[in-house]
Amino acid sequence: MVSQHGILLAVSIISDHFGPLVSKVCGCLLRHGALPLQEIVRRLELSPGQVKNSLLVLIQHNCVQAFNSPRGSGDKTATHYLANFDNILHRQRFSKFLSVIRADIPESEALLEGLLQNGRLTFDQLVERTISKVPEGSITPSREEIRMNFNKLVFAHYVERCPKPEPFFDPLVDEQSTSTRKRAKTVEIALSIDKKVVNTASLSDAERFSEIPYIMEDASNANDSTHSSIAGTKRKHNALEVDAELNSTIAENEVLWRANFEKFIFCLKKKFCADRKKPKLKVGTHPIWEAFFEASLIERDNNSVTSPINGILERVGQKEGGTLMTLDHITRVLEELNCNPSSEDPDSFILALGKLEARASKKELSGFELESDLSRIVEASQNEEIESLVKKKYGHAAFTIFRLLVRDGCPMETDKIIDTTILDKQIVYGTLYKLLKDDYIETERILSGTGTGNLQFFVWRVKNTFREQFIDNLYHAALNLRQMVNYIADLLLEGSKDDTKLRNRKNILILALTRHDDSLMLFNGF
Amino acid sequence: MPPRKRPPPPVKASDTPPETKPKLAPPSRPTAAAASPSPASSPGPRPPPVPILPDSILNAFPPPEREIYKLVFSGGDRGMTQTEIRTRTRMQPNTLSRHLRSLTSATKGVLKVVNSVHKRAEKMYMDARIDPSPEITGGTWYRDGQLDSDAVAAARRRCRDQIDRLGGVATADAIFAGIGRDCPSTAYSIEQIRDILRTMALDMELEEVRSTGVGEFSDLRAGRVCYRRGGAPQGGMMEGIPCGVCPRVDECSPDGVISPKTCVYYKKWLQMDF
Repeated sequence: MVSQHGILLAVSIISDHFGPLVSKVCGCLLRHGALPLQEIVRRLELSPGQVKNSLLVLIQHNCVQAFNSPRGSGDKTATHYLANFDNILHRQRFSKFLSVIRADIPESEALLEGLLQNGRLTFDQLVERTISKVPEGSITPSREEIRMNFNKLVFAHYVERCPKPEPFFDPLVDEQSTSTRKRAKTVEIALSIDKKVVNTASLSDAERFSEIPYIMEDASNANDSTHSSIAGTKRKHNALEVDAELNSTIAENEVLWRANFEKFIFCLKKKFCADRKKPKLKVGTHPIWEAFFEASLIERDNNSVTSPINGILERVGQKEGGTLMTLDHITRVLEELNCNPSSEDPDSFILALGKLEARASKKELSGFELESDLSRIVEASQNEEIESLVKKKYGHAAFTIFRLLVRDGCPMETDKIIDTTILDKQIVYGTLYKLLKDDYIETERILSGTGTGNLQFFVWRVKNTFREQFIDNLYHAALNLRQMVNYIADLLLEGSKDDTKLRNRKNILILALTRHDDSLMLFNGF
Repeated sequence: MPPRKRPPPPVKASDTPPETKPKLAPPSRPTAAAASPSPASSPGPRPPPVPILPDSILNAFPPPEREIYKLVFSGGDRGMTQTEIRTRTRMQPNTLSRHLRSLTSATKGVLKVVNSVHKRAEKMYMDARIDPSPEITGGTWYRDGQLDSDAVAAARRRCRDQIDRLGGVATADAIFAGIGRDCPSTAYSIEQIRDILRTMALDMELEEVRSTGVGEFSDLRAGRVCYRRGGAPQGGMMEGIPCGVCPRVDECSPDGVISPKTCVYYKKWLQMDF
């Protein structure tokens, strides 16, 4: 369930982009979970037409997923609508997604921009839009060129076919099958209903990233070829040609495409982890670390980066000082950076003797890949963020005590905290009280009835909700920044003598919001 | 009332290398004396290193004072509070105070008053010839019941310097040996050094890592716990905006009395008048 300020933030984003009516419908779904149309109408006291149009807008922009669910007993079903909180938040990151494409496939940036602006489009619509956006006097790209650029996006998984519009999902059946699996004692990750609905609607990867096929014009000449003398083969060839043409037509005219947010988030996650670790790297290891990330190819999952050693070597050679690095040195540095070999093929790995250029002439390495577990970097970064805020807000003593309690994870007596942190008792008491008041930690009084009197002492531990509370504060801060941006935008519209000053302040806020969004992704997205 | 016995700290086998025996126990408490049994195993105060005053001296005291002295002496190096003495002797408070003043006076001086780290509100009495136990004084890091910040800072500085001298990464044993060699007058114990190093790791001034046996750890056996200088602290995206460190964030709402539009911290941050 999304926290209170998370919902307010999402509603604010939808309101800014689509207006207050759509944001009302979105807010209702976020607060109450998946609902059928009638229920939304009843709760919001709006007309069915208004609610329906709002839902259409939200579905078009991938903020709501519809699904069929059984209604009562019997075979009746009802369409329910589920808000997708993550996709709503992604709307404030579109500029970051475009910058990813600009760096990777710049010729396809305009196509992605069209998909982000419109939510989902067919290829035909995208072509139409691209041609209409061409400035006068510029060369209009051909359809083939647009298709080629589009398929680059699909191949790299930046774009995907839209999920099923209204899949069938029965929560009760799903829970029963889950309990059956539990009896079989298999370990499963507990997914929320929202995630299960999204998974049910998703297409298979093969279908999701199936490119728009090319129709070869030369294929029609094959009909007249003298090699196709057998009549049956000729008919089969024609049938195949028709199928291919039909598939292409469907892919261009009927299939809806949208941006694949998962891929973009993963690209941003890689960049974040790469940048985060850089200040901690020793001198001389930066080129190797950067080359590792630049050489990554298709990812197997969202938690690791896999790069072939050949690609790494090639990119290291292009960097300053890289040509002087031996293969032995590079692999040693990568292992120290927790980039571990993922393939067991020791025969393909030969120790380098000399410079990288000489190495290239030797047996080519293949099948040797290195993985880096990003989840550890993300978790460490999350802890650093929270600890840094505790230090800024409550002081260095609080930072030490908080880290001690987080690291230990179990209740700790006051005297033990004093002994371990070697801090003054009064400072420890005061700090514990401050952290307790702001719900970072909790305490329990333990009574000891031994001896002649009753003794009592306190044990302390971090509250298990402190992360959720921090995330809610992140949402709150983002909401406040957005509100300020809108407020200054309103002031600018009203006209003011200090226009320049106001614009500068607005830019500061937008930059702060962009940077703050990295925190949001770190805690909910990566 | 007897002092509360703290349960013994768990033995951390992974941090204690087999070839080095800790000089003092328990490991988490700084101790200033030689090896002594752990508090949990002893049924009460440890036997004082000095004998009780002879009868020739005690007979000169009035019987109540004699009784008080013997009772306080039995408390050993942990001492006894005035409340405990009153409970056991069942004397009136005024009477007891008079006798205690007499015993601690310059003329007799057989008892002394000690400040306890844990019971600062009450005076603790013990035989004037006995050194108070580290549990009362807090050990090396405490002086007169107060944390000796200068001593702690000096120990941290020495540990930092040793790590730099030893190539940037070192085990606790190596740091301890180095400090003993360079500063023989300090007389730290290995457990005190470990405590300081752990505190510095909590502060992120140092980083606690395990040796891999290669690279910068090539001089160290793989698996050993070592310490190296921590990097520059990272993070802090949230603290760059007013809401991150705002003390009123729980009272803030979009249209409330406290809101971004009325916020004085935003006003200051953006340097603008609303």
